[in-house]
Amino acid sequence: MTLKYTYLLFYVWMVLLSMPSYANNGAIELITKTTQFEAGQSISLKFSNTDNETPSLYVSNSYGSTIIKPEIDSGILNYQIPQSISNKTGVVNWKLLANNSLSGAFTIISKQKAVALETYLGPPSIQAGGTDYSMLVVIPTDYLDNPLADSTKVTVKHQFLDNQNEEVVLMKNRIAYKNIYSETKTGRILVSSECLGFNSKEYTVNVLPAIPTDFNISHSRNHDYADGNQITTFSTSIIKDQFGNLVSDGTYIDFFITNRSNHILKTSSTTIKGIAVAKMIHPDHEDQWTVKAFVEGMAESKPIELAYKTIISDFNVLFSEDYRTVTIGPLKSFMNQMVPDGLEVSLSVFQNEIKLNTLTKSSFEGYATFKLDTNNFPSENYTLKIETAGVQKTYPNVKL
Amino acid sequence: MTGINKNILRSVLVLSYIAIIALVLFGIGSLYSYLNTGADRSTMLHTEIKKIDQYLPKLEWAPLNNEGRPMDAQTLNALQNDYLDAWYVKHVAYKTNTLAGIEDYYTENARKNITAFVAQNKLNHIAIEGTTLEHHLSLDFFSEDGQLAVVTDKNVIEFKRVFENYTLQLETKEQSTYKLIFLLEDGFWRIRHMIKEKSKDYKNKFAHASTEVSKVKGINYYPQASPWDMYGDKFDAAIITKDFKIIKEAGLNSIRIFIPYEDFGKANVKPEKLTKLKTVLNLAEAEKLKVVATLFDFYGDYTVLNWTLNQHHAETIVSALKDHSALLAWDIKNEPNLDFESRHKDLVIAWLDNMIDLVKSTDPKHPVTIGWSNAESATILKDKLDFISFHYYEDLDDLEATYKHLKSEVTNKTIAITEFGLSSYKGFWNPFGNNEDDQSDYHKKAQGIFSENDINFMSWTLYDFTEIPKEVVGRLPWRKQAQEHFGFIDQNGETKPAFKYISKK
Repeated sequence: MTLKYTYLLFYVWMVLLSMPSYANNGAIELITKTTQFEAGQSISLKFSNTDNETPSLYVSNSYGSTIIKPEIDSGILNYQIPQSISNKTGVVNWKLLANNSLSGAFTIISKQKAVALETYLGPPSIQAGGTDYSMLVVIPTDYLDNPLADSTKVTVKHQFLDNQNEEVVLMKNRIAYKNIYSETKTGRILVSSECLGFNSKEYTVNVLPAIPTDFNISHSRNHDYADGNQITTFSTSIIKDQFGNLVSDGTYIDFFITNRSNHILKTSSTTIKGIAVAKMIHPDHEDQWTVKAFVEGMAESKPIELAYKTIISDFNVLFSEDYRTVTIGPLKSFMNQMVPDGLEVSLSVFQNEIKLNTLTKSSFEGYATFKLDTNNFPSENYTLKIETAGVQKTYPNVKL
Repeated sequence: MTGINKNILRSVLVLSYIAIIALVLFGIGSLYSYLNTGADRSTMLHTEIKKIDQYLPKLEWAPLNNEGRPMDAQTLNALQNDYLDAWYVKHVAYKTNTLAGIEDYYTENARKNITAFVAQNKLNHIAIEGTTLEHHLSLDFFSEDGQLAVVTDKNVIEFKRVFENYTLQLETKEQSTYKLIFLLEDGFWRIRHMIKEKSKDYKNKFAHASTEVSKVKGINYYPQASPWDMYGDKFDAAIITKDFKIIKEAGLNSIRIFIPYEDFGKANVKPEKLTKLKTVLNLAEAEKLKVVATLFDFYGDYTVLNWTLNQHHAETIVSALKDHSALLAWDIKNEPNLDFESRHKDLVIAWLDNMIDLVKSTDPKHPVTIGWSNAESATILKDKLDFISFHYYEDLDDLEATYKHLKSEVTNKTIAITEFGLSSYKGFWNPFGNNEDDQSDYHKKAQGIFSENDINFMSWTLYDFTEIPKEVVGRLPWRKQAQEHFGFIDQNGETKPAFKYISKK
């Protein structure tokens, strides 16, 4: 019995529920038939209304959603769409918060007049030769910061030396872009763009030389003696890329000097106007140098050979009475002049073929003096070996 | 007399002196230790990486085929993270009408639009709880200098609850397509332009699962030693095997198990827990038992902004088990109608609705149900479920009528009672309760009704438990005691009289 009543009640309720919704469908209807507006235009949605209902309207655009209330004017519901929505392009969907839940959508398109060309150009410097490029991306926007519609024409202009180019690209994905390729010369490419009569400002791409090609090196020196005092200067030929552009100033050049005993000396420099100049002090003994320069990882020079002659063929050694003071000299150079101060003289002390110590001194006014004190060298027999500028002299069985 | 008094006085004085000294020392000690605490030096530079997952909608990238510079995985990942964060901060902004975080993810010009909405909604007391559930991204363009990207996000599924003066005005699910222009600024991929290109209401059509539920004779299962904590340290495959043998031999064909949300690691499901769960299913398969897996146990938040995390959790578990042959069905949530009052009915239903869609889209094969706590709630969302299930702890005399009434309301769907039972606790806290014989009679009678009406059933539960976690029924001893005695096997491992009627009358 109760079950029957429940059913009956249920049916009555169902009927009641369905009736007003039918009635409502006729009550509120959309009057505004336009479904496309221009950004910035004042938009209002109008509904006819025979009831006294004033439902709110939910509206949602690209950035957010809100609820708005109607103004009622002689039985017409008028919903004024707020500027936060009517100013931005895209689809706006709406829903009437009434029983019949009317819903719909309209589109806002941009005003086809550019007032700003947001421009992105990068990378800012590229390499000469026609393979490297920089990309210009333009987002033309209307006065409400909406990107213009796709397929809008954008003219990209660029100038380099005698060439001046103009090309029309169509907007796609709400942007327009163009690759700007380098030519074989270095310099600056000036870029600008134009959309619907509105011009951008000027942008610059630097075209830098391509990677350097192989080069030659030369040397200059005062004399070819190994005096450990003069300086030899190395310099490169003018370094250029494959298109004949001078390499950028400041290109780093390494000079590797290999001597006769396969040790490597290194000096370096940066280029100015394509030429790098580096210096190295002369060796202090007879030697043979092989010099080769590199722009690391990019280019290298042919090697050059340099020979250094010895300045001393022989020297005198003078012992004191107790043999504990050793005077070496006079050390004479290639014109029999005294060698410049600072030539290294070394004295090695051996005992029973075992080296005990090596003493070094710099020459001063052509002489070097060693003092062998009793604390380090007790009174016994020693072998003394003296060397300077590559010349050796040995004194065995010296009794100190 | 005076001597004793003096002694008492003395000892009181001495003791109080000691007590005061002790208190003073304790005070100085705690002050000293307080002054010695402070920030760990290692935290001084804030170098520790804090990445918490707060927003994990379904997301997929179309194969990269963009104009401009080729995209690398690392940049794409950075772009994706910032894009999702941009949505997240926007949801927070519209929910609270504040602007925290917006400036990190929207360029100066783009954020003006959000500021305008926030100002307007704040003025009119409008708040929007929203989230996005799915994104399908494709990269259209990436600039040569790597500073600008254009992305299309197709068929974004947006869910919104719109409030005015704290009352819900609208619940809407929309499917929209966005065109987005990003700029790399200060290390953030910021949205410069966002244009909604398409939008429509999203309605997911119900598609029936490809398998059916029928002739279910089952039981809700927890091991005796670890009820409500099945996948913890006490997990023991040997015990579970033994229990499954008992269940199979008793003539039952299925079990219902629970997958706790937090225990499984919330959004990021712990692999070791998943392995244990798979083990349970393997063991069930070995005994030819079918398994109803109940998701989201001990979960009761439903906050819209956390839906993506819930989705991620469910998706991981469902996709891991969907091909398991022991799986019978998915139970979205145990007794969600009990949360209607505290969490708002409409919110809970919206959550369930969405979760049904997610589980069904991940696993179209297995049927989906919700374990309502009573038959009255069982018609909610009935058109979206493959079969209807409810729990019955009321008087058995009304069972037949209740079942038939529900049957008349959901004519085209299978119905199952996934929990029923009687506690055999009679003691200090409930001297007039039912004893084990009453329980036995109850099950005998229930089985009679089931076989007469051909009802699918799953009883509560195999064992009497010794320890009930407080999260289940609270701390009250009479509730705990009652909950401990629903089993067919008592605390000493002996079968109770009701065991005879575990699967037949």
